[in-house]
Formats: sequence, C-alpha cells, structure tokens
Amino acid sequence: MKSINVPALARVEGEGGLYFGIEDGRAVEIRLDIYEPPRFFEGFLRNRFLQEIPDITARICGICPVAYQMSSAIALENALGIEVSPEVRALRRLMYCGEYIESHALHIYMLQAPDLLGKESALELAATAPEIVKDALRLKKIGNNILKTIGGRSVHPVSVCVGGFYQWPDRQAIKALLPDLEWGLQAAIDCVKWAVTLPYPDLEIEYEFVALHHPDEYAVIDGDIRSSKERTLSVAEYEKGYIERHVRHSNALHGYTATGSTYLVGPLARLNLNHEQLLPLAKKSLREANIVLPLKNPYKSLIARAVELVQAYEEAILLIEKYQPQGPAHADIKIKEGEGAGATEAPRGLLYHRYRIDDKGMVQFARITPPTAQNLPQIEADLFALAPNLLKLPEAEATLTAEHLVRAYDPCISCATHFLKLKVEEK
Amino acid sequence: MKRVAVIGIGQRLRGDDAAGLEAIHQWRHRYPETANRPEVRTEALELAGLNLLAALENMDAAILVDAVHGPNPAGEIYRLREEEISSFSSDTKSAHGWGVAETLKMGRLLGMLEGVSICILGIQTGQMNPGEGISREVRGKILLLCEAIQAELNILLAQ
Repeated sequence: MKSINVPALARVEGEGGLYFGIEDGRAVEIRLDIYEPPRFFEGFLRNRFLQEIPDITARICGICPVAYQMSSAIALENALGIEVSPEVRALRRLMYCGEYIESHALHIYMLQAPDLLGKESALELAATAPEIVKDALRLKKIGNNILKTIGGRSVHPVSVCVGGFYQWPDRQAIKALLPDLEWGLQAAIDCVKWAVTLPYPDLEIEYEFVALHHPDEYAVIDGDIRSSKERTLSVAEYEKGYIERHVRHSNALHGYTATGSTYLVGPLARLNLNHEQLLPLAKKSLREANIVLPLKNPYKSLIARAVELVQAYEEAILLIEKYQPQGPAHADIKIKEGEGAGATEAPRGLLYHRYRIDDKGMVQFARITPPTAQNLPQIEADLFALAPNLLKLPEAEATLTAEHLVRAYDPCISCATHFLKLKVEEK
Repeated sequence: MKRVAVIGIGQRLRGDDAAGLEAIHQWRHRYPETANRPEVRTEALELAGLNLLAALENMDAAILVDAVHGPNPAGEIYRLREEEISSFSSDTKSAHGWGVAETLKMGRLLGMLEGVSICILGIQTGQMNPGEGISREVRGKILLLCEAIQAELNILLAQ
C-alpha cells in the first residue's frame, strides 16, 4: 500500500500529523493523527471553586482564551440561575470582538493566505508583499489592545468572572481605542475585497452547518444552536443532538451528530446561517464583493473570516461609542447546588461547556467540547472528498494540497486534546 | 536617551519554559533602581508570538530573556546575537509556530525593527513538561541570569 505521510503539520496550533493510505489508486484510509498529549483540563477543574474556572479554562488556548472564559462563566451563571446586566453583556461582546480580530487577522494573513498565494510561509509573503503583512500585524495588534484594555493583558486576560467582570475598564482607555478601530474597519473592508480575489482550489462539500443563532444579532455569546438541517436546540439540549467519540488515532475526541453524521462549525457555518444578522457595513461588504451564500468550499472560510473581521470592527466601534459603565461590574452570586451549560462562538466555532457544582460552589463535573474536536471528523471527510484529485497530483503537491485544506480550518489541536476517562478492566 | 526593553518570554505552565519570565521577575526585585529608570521598559510576555513586535516598538535596544533548547546541560546561560537564534529553538509550542526567531525575522523584513539592536540571553532548559515548575538545575542559575541582564543593561545604558 502506498501512503502520503505528513508527520507534523505546520502553521496550526498544537501537534498533529496527517496520513493517507492508498490502495489500487484510491484512498482507503485517511487519518488526522492528533498526538498532542491530552491535558485533562476537565479532570483538574473538579473540586475547584467556580470563580477559579474562567481563569483556568482561559489557559486552554493562547489564541482564544476569551472564548473559554465566556463559555465557562455563562455555563456557571446558568448553574446558579444568574442573569447578567445589559452592560456586562455588551462588554463581553466587545471583548469577544477583540478576540475575533486578533485570531482572524492571524489566520487570514499569516496562516492561510501564504498557501493560497503559493508562498511557503508568512515570512515569504512579507518579503514579496510587505504592505499586506504590515496591515495584518496592525489589524491583529488592535484586537490584542482591546483584550489588554478590558482584560489586563492581551493573552489570558484576567478580568472575567462568573457574573461579569471584576471591575469596569476605564472609560477613557476604552474610548482611546476608537481611532485605531476606525482605521481597522476600513482595512477589514479592504480585506474582504482582497479575499475574494484569491485563487481558491475547487472543492464543494454538502455540509451540515452548525452555529449559535440569535434573532437580533450576529450570535457570539448566546442564542440557540441551529443546524442547516433544520434542527434547532437550546444550549441546554446540546448533548442530545451532538456527541463525542473516542477514535484510536487521536488524542482529541471526535464530534458527531447524535445520528452519527459529521458537521461543520466555525466561520463558514456562522456566516451561512447568520448573515442576515450582520451589521450594515459587514452586510455591504458581503454584497459588494458578490459573495454568494451558502459558501460550501472549506478553503473559502478565509472569506467568511474576512467578513467577520468587518463585523467585529464595526461592532467594537458601536459598543465603544455606547460604553458608559454603571452599576456593579458583576452580578451578586449566591452559591447553591446546580448544573448549567453555556455555549459561545469561539473564532473557530461553537464552544460548549457544562458544569455541575455542589452547595459550596465546587465543581463536581465538567465537560468542554471545543470547536476543533467537532470539526475533526469533517476534516477527514473533506480529505476523502479531495482524494480523487489529490491522487492525480505528484506526491509533493498532493501533500501540500492536503495540508492546505487542514490549515483552512485553522484547527486548534491544543484545545481539542481532551480525553475520555480511562477504564481499566482486569480479567 | 537610549530606550531599552527588557523582555522575559515563556510559559508559566511548561516547566523550564518559565525561566525567562522568572528571571525578569527576580531581576526587577534585585535591581529596582535600573528597572525603574524611565528609559527602561520591562515586560513579561507569556506566549509572545507576534506580539513581541509590538513590545519592541519605539525601542533602540532590547534584551530578550528566553528559555532555549540547545546541546548543553540544563541551566547553561547563552548570550546570543539575533542571527544566531535560528539554530536554537525555545520549543515553546508557541501559537501557530511563531517563535522568537521567526518573529524577529518578520520584523526585520518589514522594517519594523530598524535601528533596534537586540541581544538574547538564553537559558538551557531541562524539562518542559506541562504543569511542572522550573527544574532545580535551571532555578539554581536564575540569579546568574539576572546578573547577566544587569551587565548587559549597564553596557547599553552607558552608550
């Protein structure tokens, strides 16, 4: 049997490889091998006080710590029956804008664009198109500055708590972000125009798209879980519709629908399901770039990220213009026994948390389902769909094309490697 | 007045990879009169990645303190020039592969580091296991690393 083997994928977060087994000219086995060691976060959240959880879960990822903080805080608030104030909700959305900006700018320009432009890396892109990369770095830095201003630091912010924030960020410091955001909004609009000109490989997949949906806004921190297959569940019902399985070749669990099919979360799913809720300038960008939805080409998730970049800049400006902190920065917490689920839209897709706490506020059970774990079976299915074309290519080109597909997903392997409980049976 | 950044780089949750952060922390306490000088900016950058470029903005010189993976015993201290670090790897599992060497190369390519002289003080790692603290071998050399930072700064500030 012939094989194509990529022992270590480059320009993805975490450690994984890719294996193609080929027999009689067709792919018989495709594996995204995730060998990054499991990190057992769910295990060591147990017997920790609930207020520690947002800071611990933030450490799961250096790119999307806010997503982990928000999903955990919201799940624990649901366990306690707490409702946060509109001001807290708005500040959470603003913080999330910062995370979308820094994460999407990194992926669009530094991770995926080099593939589409035939460059080996962003360094090569910087050598040939320095202005693009300079703008990318500035776009990203503005996102990091939002996080630093609200969260005290740009990576693993420390201001988020169950019930809201430890304190309101300074109003002047928040307002001072506006000039950069105005520049960033225009740069993001230009990014959409540029994104549609890139040469995307031909590949269309009939996905089941899954994302949070909110009738009044582009869903990020709350809403129902909507599927393009006409299935809508509340966040509390998530585990009735979506399950995780262990597979032999992966330290990350694999997500499936309850009926066993693959599905897609992330920017493509969000844009396809929620484009009607985009803000006016993001909608205009979509229209003027003649982007026809639904986008079904996984490589074109770059376009979806670019539109979301406009959305995040536009929303950040609106939220900052209205920012007028008043009242307490967090809700009062009355500890009681309970269980709650929370889901938010991390830059890479739906991030679900569920916790059970005892009457002292100690976590007794934790479940975290990251977006990459949900997408892994879909990535493998996409690779199978791509295989007939790949096998016509010289091996080096085939390998690169397969790697490009995986990178288009912006998988966060580090986030995804949690593990099933080990059961030892003695016979 | 020469503006100098003293930047510790690393991850607190990966064993000896925290050595750069710890060295900056200890150096600030040991040499407050230098650390508090207006032309000196100190920073502990966890998961620095491309954010390192923002930390170097408007600086004339920088001392980067980081854990490195090299051929010598744990705790060995290196003084490296920028062009020497591509052969070393801090192996930080940094976000999407943006290590210090690649980031500095990017900054130079884009002209963002024009006129900035950079020296790297590295300390050889022993273990970088998730969830573990700094090893005894490396911890025992942090003081020497602080002295190396101070010596480097004395030269830079005297220029």
